[in-house]
Amino acid sequence: MDIISNLLFGFQHALTLHNLLFCAIGCMVGTLIGLLPGMGPLATISLLLPLTYSIPIDGALIMLAGIYYGAQYGDSVSAITMKIPHASSIVACIDGYQMTLKGQTGLALFTAGVSSFIGGSVAIVVLAALAPALGEVALLFGPPDYCALMLLGFVCVSFVTTGSLLGGLGMCMVGVLLGQIGTDVNSGTQRFTLDLPFLADGIGVVSIALGCFGIAEITKNLDSRNERTPFNGQIKLMPTWPEFKRIIPSALRGSAIGSFLGILPGGGPSIAQFAAYAIDKKVSKYRHEIGTGVIEGVAGQAAADEAAARTSFIPLMSIGIPENAVMALMLAAFIIKGVQPGPNMIAEHGELFWGLVASMWIGNCFLLFLNVPMVRYLLSIFRIPYAVLFPSILFFCCIGTYSINNSLQDVLITAGFGLLGYSFLRLDLDPAPLILGFILGPMLEEYFRRSLLLSRGSFTVFFTHPISATLLILIGAFIAWQIVSFYREKPKEPDLELQINEE
Amino acid sequence: MNNRNLLKGLFLMLIATAFGLGSFSYSIGTLGRAGPGMFPMLVASILFLVGIAMVIQSRGVKPVPVQFNIKNISIIIASLCGFALLSEYVNMIVGIVFLVFCASFAGSSYSVVRNVKIAGVLVAIALALQKLLGVQLPLY
Repeated sequence: MDIISNLLFGFQHALTLHNLLFCAIGCMVGTLIGLLPGMGPLATISLLLPLTYSIPIDGALIMLAGIYYGAQYGDSVSAITMKIPHASSIVACIDGYQMTLKGQTGLALFTAGVSSFIGGSVAIVVLAALAPALGEVALLFGPPDYCALMLLGFVCVSFVTTGSLLGGLGMCMVGVLLGQIGTDVNSGTQRFTLDLPFLADGIGVVSIALGCFGIAEITKNLDSRNERTPFNGQIKLMPTWPEFKRIIPSALRGSAIGSFLGILPGGGPSIAQFAAYAIDKKVSKYRHEIGTGVIEGVAGQAAADEAAARTSFIPLMSIGIPENAVMALMLAAFIIKGVQPGPNMIAEHGELFWGLVASMWIGNCFLLFLNVPMVRYLLSIFRIPYAVLFPSILFFCCIGTYSINNSLQDVLITAGFGLLGYSFLRLDLDPAPLILGFILGPMLEEYFRRSLLLSRGSFTVFFTHPISATLLILIGAFIAWQIVSFYREKPKEPDLELQINEE
Repeated sequence: MNNRNLLKGLFLMLIATAFGLGSFSYSIGTLGRAGPGMFPMLVASILFLVGIAMVIQSRGVKPVPVQFNIKNISIIIASLCGFALLSEYVNMIVGIVFLVFCASFAGSSYSVVRNVKIAGVLVAIALALQKLLGVQLPLY
């Protein structure tokens, strides 16, 4: 009963005309930007974050949730129609693009829309039921436990994003080091600022995100002379009843998998969609056809993606730990608005929390009834040639960075990170763990120094606290598992093992 | 030398060295009372080890050449920096025009007429942002 009254409270708060409007705008703009090549949810949120500064806090967060879901849908649209994926729509490329080749673009887009609605609705129940309970668990966490939890997040996320433990960990640490730039909160020392006054406050996360994702991606497209083909706009949207019936089981399976994986730190949408696709391939009635462009291949992964995206708010809002770069940006948005996500958030800002939960579902409805029918018109953006599109994207990057602090130096910093991001891209280093390290780094340092202060400099404190000891054992197990599977997978390349052993 | 896996490791080692040497200029403190230099030094040393491990690993793997196209990234960076500097010292409209004209050199075709159109539309968008949404842009 508690859950229902809580949700009703939330809907009351979210269903004001203003908040509905913000949600609709966020959804729409998010989809529009998400459609742009190279613009995933991460780049979209960082681009549109400044838009929310002048809006009251509950409206702003609801709008951000709208932007997030809109951007994810926009992403799957570009994945299905043109095979330009982003992190959240890699799997949509496989069967979705095959469906486009078969002339079923409209059906694929509709399936993706409906399945994400189903995934979202299942996840909202999980979210409403579990978030407060997890919030209470979080109160048991002391500084050493937080420290270990963040390390666990680092290790998990490094697996997800690159598959290479070393590369991911390395980029995480680069992010932590970049987070050190600025004034040290404990001693007031200015660190790594090169005596430049505008670095004293540190670097903005938006500069890093735009530089490493937006600008690097644009340059990559320019390098490969990537010209977008015009889209002809002839698509049939509505499915027949037998087709519709095929969506349901697969979408429900996907929702369950997605909801579960979203809660785990480092799970998140990108593993969820792969897991759902893999399970559909094992148990679906049409399993032999998956891969050649069938509904199940799109429905399961879309539902899992959406459900995981939704439940990944649980770690953010109940413990205050973002589990991926998008969540890290959402965390930044919370902090800019003066709300510290964490165990106290549900108690202190109850209306915000439940309002956000409700507005996520409303955002999903908007997605289904506004964006899905509109998508054929949105696709006309690809009639704009890339030569016109990319200077405009650069312009929005500049305006986006500038308007955060009204500072032109921030644009220079963004340009610098563009160069760094391009180097990372060409060296095949994934910048996503870098963003995560950048956000978590200062917190990790804070808790690390506090734990050592409490224990008078003894590292045993991390092992005597039961929670942190458990987490550290988990980290050890993860690393061991990674090393074992690394050697198992590559029996064909004995030179590598030999080389390392010789060194 | 043009081996992506090797350069990856070297690049991380370079970053680690830069931050590691920098952290020596701040007080390290003791473990019980850590100074501002302690944490960056710890992280930089671990990053350095990661870099070394990557260099070692790269020796057993087939070299992949790095495709670093210096032209396009330089044009993009130059247009962004030009935008920032011109907006600072002249005004943002000049900055936007420069951004469009400079960045277009990276595209596969160049057309002055098209650039004038793009710049016109973007200036109009900037004006709308300033007048309607209240974003503070030093346009003129």
